[in-house]
Amino acid sequence: MKLLSNYLKEMKIAARGFYFYIEIAMAVILLAILLLVVSETSTSNRKQFVYNDMPQKIAEYLKDKSIKDGDARLTDATEFKLKPVEFVITNQETGETAAHDFDDEKIIKLETIETLDSSTGELAGTTYYAETEEDMIRLAYGESEIGATAAMDARGKVSYTYYLQGYETDKLKSLLYISHSESPSVINAKKDKQVVRTLGVMKTLNNRENLVPVFLVFAGSLMGFFIVLAYIFYDKAEGVIRAFAVTPSPIWKYLISKIFVILTTVVVSSSIITIPVMKGQPNYLLFYIFLIITTFAIASLGLLVASFFDSISKAFGVMYAIMIALLIPAFSYYIPSFDPLWLRFFPTYPMLQGFKEILLNGDAGYVLTFSLVFLAGGLVLFVLADKRFKKTLTV
Amino acid sequence: MISVKNLSYSYNEDGNFAVKNIGFEVANGETFGFLGPSGAGKSTTQGILTGLLKLQDGEVLVAGYDIRKVQNERFNKIGVSFEQSNVYGKLTAKENLEYYAKLFDVPTRDPMELIHLVGLDGKENVRAGEFSKGMKHRLTFARSMINNPELWFLDEPTTGLDPAIAATIKNIIREQAAEGTTSFLTTHNMFIADELCDRVAFIIDGEIKLIDAPKNLKLQYGQKLVDIEYIDDSKIVKETIKTVDALERKRIGEIVNNYEIQTMHSKEATLEEIFIQVTGRELVYNETTK
Repeated sequence: MKLLSNYLKEMKIAARGFYFYIEIAMAVILLAILLLVVSETSTSNRKQFVYNDMPQKIAEYLKDKSIKDGDARLTDATEFKLKPVEFVITNQETGETAAHDFDDEKIIKLETIETLDSSTGELAGTTYYAETEEDMIRLAYGESEIGATAAMDARGKVSYTYYLQGYETDKLKSLLYISHSESPSVINAKKDKQVVRTLGVMKTLNNRENLVPVFLVFAGSLMGFFIVLAYIFYDKAEGVIRAFAVTPSPIWKYLISKIFVILTTVVVSSSIITIPVMKGQPNYLLFYIFLIITTFAIASLGLLVASFFDSISKAFGVMYAIMIALLIPAFSYYIPSFDPLWLRFFPTYPMLQGFKEILLNGDAGYVLTFSLVFLAGGLVLFVLADKRFKKTLTV
Repeated sequence: MISVKNLSYSYNEDGNFAVKNIGFEVANGETFGFLGPSGAGKSTTQGILTGLLKLQDGEVLVAGYDIRKVQNERFNKIGVSFEQSNVYGKLTAKENLEYYAKLFDVPTRDPMELIHLVGLDGKENVRAGEFSKGMKHRLTFARSMINNPELWFLDEPTTGLDPAIAATIKNIIREQAAEGTTSFLTTHNMFIADELCDRVAFIIDGEIKLIDAPKNLKLQYGQKLVDIEYIDDSKIVKETIKTVDALERKRIGEIVNNYEIQTMHSKEATLEEIFIQVTGRELVYNETTK
């Protein structure tokens, strides 16, 4: 009864404050980003500007061939505005430099051909054909894209001179080099000798779904960490914890009621983000178990931190350091090659992986194991926070 | 109701004691004043008695409970009115009292009755955050009565209140005392202590210098005087005469027989004067609390 009374009071206070609405509003904004901005599949529409330094008929033949083969399609001509510009081009092979200075301004229309992915048929790149080499170079520089001059030698072999921005990786440079070094037939012949054995079908999340674990951890649990601190410091400023301490109700009921409020907001905000994106795909029982337990653990950490300080300004340094530390596993989530052992000890690492497994309907054992770990850790932190609050009631 | 023996407390546990080896007893139904200047050890003592500070050294029984043992149910018998108002600003006056009422295991008072008692009628549905400092203080005071406490801790109960409201609060304290409530009143305002307390303790630098009834202290330490104003040759003359001196008592008779008396008052030493006499230190208090 006292616990319910505390919870209802906390919910009333939360509903009359702005933190509650910030969290809900943030969930709605994140959902809007997921649904409206992030596409389900990743697209890499590579753009390049090409000048064909060869007879018109040969150039037209090459373009028509790729269109007929189904590798490309002709679209409407694209309009570009060329502005006055100065730049220097360095030849990587010889080291020679050439200064370019254009002071005119003009609008040009370029023939545009879209290249398609041979396996999916989706747009893979766009090539704009410039009428002069100068225009091609100006556009490559102005649009920060790759430029190329395709020329035909006396033996009828096409060679390419690329104009890059200077920051491209060696891998890309090598790829461009290899793609023109051998005839496609030779590459295909070599490729056909390779035996490919499929070891298993790996389930993956699409682009949009892949963002959900990150939003759940950082917009849910970490916001919970911050908000529980904010609630406690607000109460400390009002002195109401001391008033609570002289009632028969134990302090742990006061603390757990704060966590219940955080759980309520996190469950609502996480549902707002997850359900419309994932629909019926995940195991929601497992999802809510993991969400509630991890939020409990992180909010308990917040309570423990709050017990050491008497105002949010004094706690800010520690609070900021913890939040930054908890953010680090996100790098590993997005850059799988960055996965050092020490990173796995950050609580947000298994949280991210756990949510990913749940959304994939993957390894339930991993999720349940870490649920137990977080539950045990959360209980320890909560007991420590309770002891600290009892000691520092006069703060 | 309260028994304190050899109580000492050091905030940093480094030998610098805020309270040094003090002892006193408060009987059932008594209003006991704990008087001293800021930093004397009043709040530390009250903090220990209310359980907000951990008992380090000594023996303390409060409302029949040994406070060394954690027994939250003792708070059913205790009410605490804090010096600094501490109510939920986002809850209304009524919601604040209703919430606290639910935290006790004993029958509680009607929040509306308490709101009326402290003169906050019509403000029950206003959020406490919109209250003035005085109104918040009255709500904090009202909250301390929600569980009909047998033992009532009052920390500067009239601080910051205007004289009319302060008089109301003092009347409530008297009424509660008449109903048998034991009060432990912590203050540096000697006028309130003089008006309300059956006994007072003077505490300074963490040590109790004296415990007695205000009346006894005045008898023991005060000189009885009479202030007389009379007319002599169309002029008002003032004289202060000691009543303990036989010659001076005779002088009172002469004045009464030969002159037209304008005013005549017997005068006792104030509690504050006695405090200064006993401790050698002055009390500093806010004008508004006089």
